[in-house]
Amino acid sequence: MAALRKSILLLLLTGYTMFAAGPFVWVAMMSLRTTTEIHHDHFGFPDPAHWNKYPDAWFNSNYATYFANSTQIVVAAVILVTLIGAMAAHCLARYRFRLNRVIYFVLFSTIIFPPQITIISLFQILVQYGLYNSKIGLMLVYVAIQLPLTIYILESFFARIPSDLFDAARMDGYSDWEIFWKVAFPIALPAITTTVILNFILLWNEFLFAVVLITEEANRTLPLGIQRFIGDTQEDIGMIATGLMIAIIPVIVIYAFFSEKLIQGMTAGAVK
Amino acid sequence: MAVVSLKDLTKIYDRGHAPAADKVSLEIGDGEFMVLLGPSGCGKTTTLRMVAGLESITAGELSIDGAVMNAIPAKDRDIAMVFQSYALYPHMSVKNNLAFGLRRRSVSRSEIERRVVSVAETLELTPFLQRKPHALSGGQRQRVALGRAIVRDPKVFLFDEPLSNLDAALRVSTRSEIASLHRRLGATMIYVTHDQVEAMTLGTRICIMNGGRVMQVGSPLDVYHQPVNTFVAGFLGNPPMNLLPATVTDAPGGCTLAIGETRLEVPGTRMPAHSPGADLTFGIRPENVRLGEAPGAGFATLAGTVTQIEALGAETIITAGLPNVAAPLTARVAGDGGPGVGDRVGFAVDLGAAHVFGPDGRAVTQS
Repeated sequence: MAALRKSILLLLLTGYTMFAAGPFVWVAMMSLRTTTEIHHDHFGFPDPAHWNKYPDAWFNSNYATYFANSTQIVVAAVILVTLIGAMAAHCLARYRFRLNRVIYFVLFSTIIFPPQITIISLFQILVQYGLYNSKIGLMLVYVAIQLPLTIYILESFFARIPSDLFDAARMDGYSDWEIFWKVAFPIALPAITTTVILNFILLWNEFLFAVVLITEEANRTLPLGIQRFIGDTQEDIGMIATGLMIAIIPVIVIYAFFSEKLIQGMTAGAVK
Repeated sequence: MAVVSLKDLTKIYDRGHAPAADKVSLEIGDGEFMVLLGPSGCGKTTTLRMVAGLESITAGELSIDGAVMNAIPAKDRDIAMVFQSYALYPHMSVKNNLAFGLRRRSVSRSEIERRVVSVAETLELTPFLQRKPHALSGGQRQRVALGRAIVRDPKVFLFDEPLSNLDAALRVSTRSEIASLHRRLGATMIYVTHDQVEAMTLGTRICIMNGGRVMQVGSPLDVYHQPVNTFVAGFLGNPPMNLLPATVTDAPGGCTLAIGETRLEVPGTRMPAHSPGADLTFGIRPENVRLGEAPGAGFATLAGTVTQIEALGAETIITAGLPNVAAPLTARVAGDGGPGVGDRVGFAVDLGAAHVFGPDGRAVTQS
């Protein structure tokens, strides 16, 4: 009976894994095939595998620049979101002050607006401040759009840190600023890591704000670079797949590296 | 030397609400172990937190060694506190937990090392110095919390119900550890608890609080034997003192009380004369109530029907209902024999140990 249940579970898990990983494997196979080969047989194996497509995309299709731009913008945005978000969440969770909940609600309520609503006004603001078509401009937009969710996730975590710890640190002679860095921040690391991963993945793949706010070739991010292979009359499916794989690799590396922390952060407090 | 003086210390959290601590006045002598005892919400922790500097003081004055501390931040009061939840930093090893407070105070590295090692040895924490708090048992965590206070060598130690998270056996051993710590260090300590056994065994003096106010301050036995009001009488002791409604009869002398259908002549040493008809409360501790008829002068017999028996082995707690008396009578008798539930028995009450309280709940007993 136990063996049967195990077999059914295994079958279900195999089915789900194929369903989830199927598109990824398909793109990975296409990334090693030419567009002609793909048109000939959509689901064929890469035989022969065109490994040269990767250096070709990197050096000849400007992917090195896109990759560097994405890295600069996303890493800077994630660092800022994490620092500002953690400090704001700590304040909202820890300090009793007038309008605390109102501020929290206003911050969080911005999540309900779809990005299409804010994009025109953001475009106007960036143009007025001379930040349109700049990496700093896009980075600041990324910080703004990810802050509410980051504060929401971290606030609930910070709120669960017992206040006795802060009192103990105060008795030990530490200021509020030091208590945040030496006590609250290290304790909240599992949740902070969660937000770092989520923000990194979301921003790394972000397309809508990038396509509206960046037009200059030198400032394009990876999702925009991939778009370049989509022409008016034809699409270079093979190179799109190669570009997608280049774009996905950092996400996979980060996820693989931090996945344990991610799960820890997601489930923190669930079990005593 | 550290004398802690509280003068009319008051804490009001929300305007319009009753104060959490109401004009608390207390003088804690150098090296004294003062226990703040009371039920939940009586203001003892609020008072302790005001002394610690963790709560602002709404009114009144707090001074340590004559220096007013009202506006001095917690870190500059030279006070260490042991929290109910231990409050150990979970991301730091035991060693770093112990050293954390010293690092902020510009103590040299070698001195920090020396003090940490010394405290760890004293509290038998040396094998656990590299462990994180989650890898320690409850008792070990409590010792780390104690160590963190000791290592700072403060003027005053504050304890906020430090034993309430420990199991019964560990509570007894940690209690004696704290007592020996006080003897060894000779420091001024203020200890908050709702556990009267802790208060009685640890305190040089006890301050009993209720509703934010100080009810009585005195040595444990003084407070036990001479409660100033019905709250203190009913709070201290397990089982608590019997508090029976009584009326002064018109018998000559003004010291004869009617409790239900029984009349008791309370000695003049325990009760000043009252005019007939006065409603009083007669108090008697369960250990001053015996089974059987009054053996002679100085005793009175109260007859009742047994409603509950709690055999504890060495002693038995017998609760009985008295005819026409709203409150039950509890007796603590030696051994495990005795009557059964429903039996009608007589209880001999030692009138020499009686307490009498006025209509306002204050003791009228002359001590």
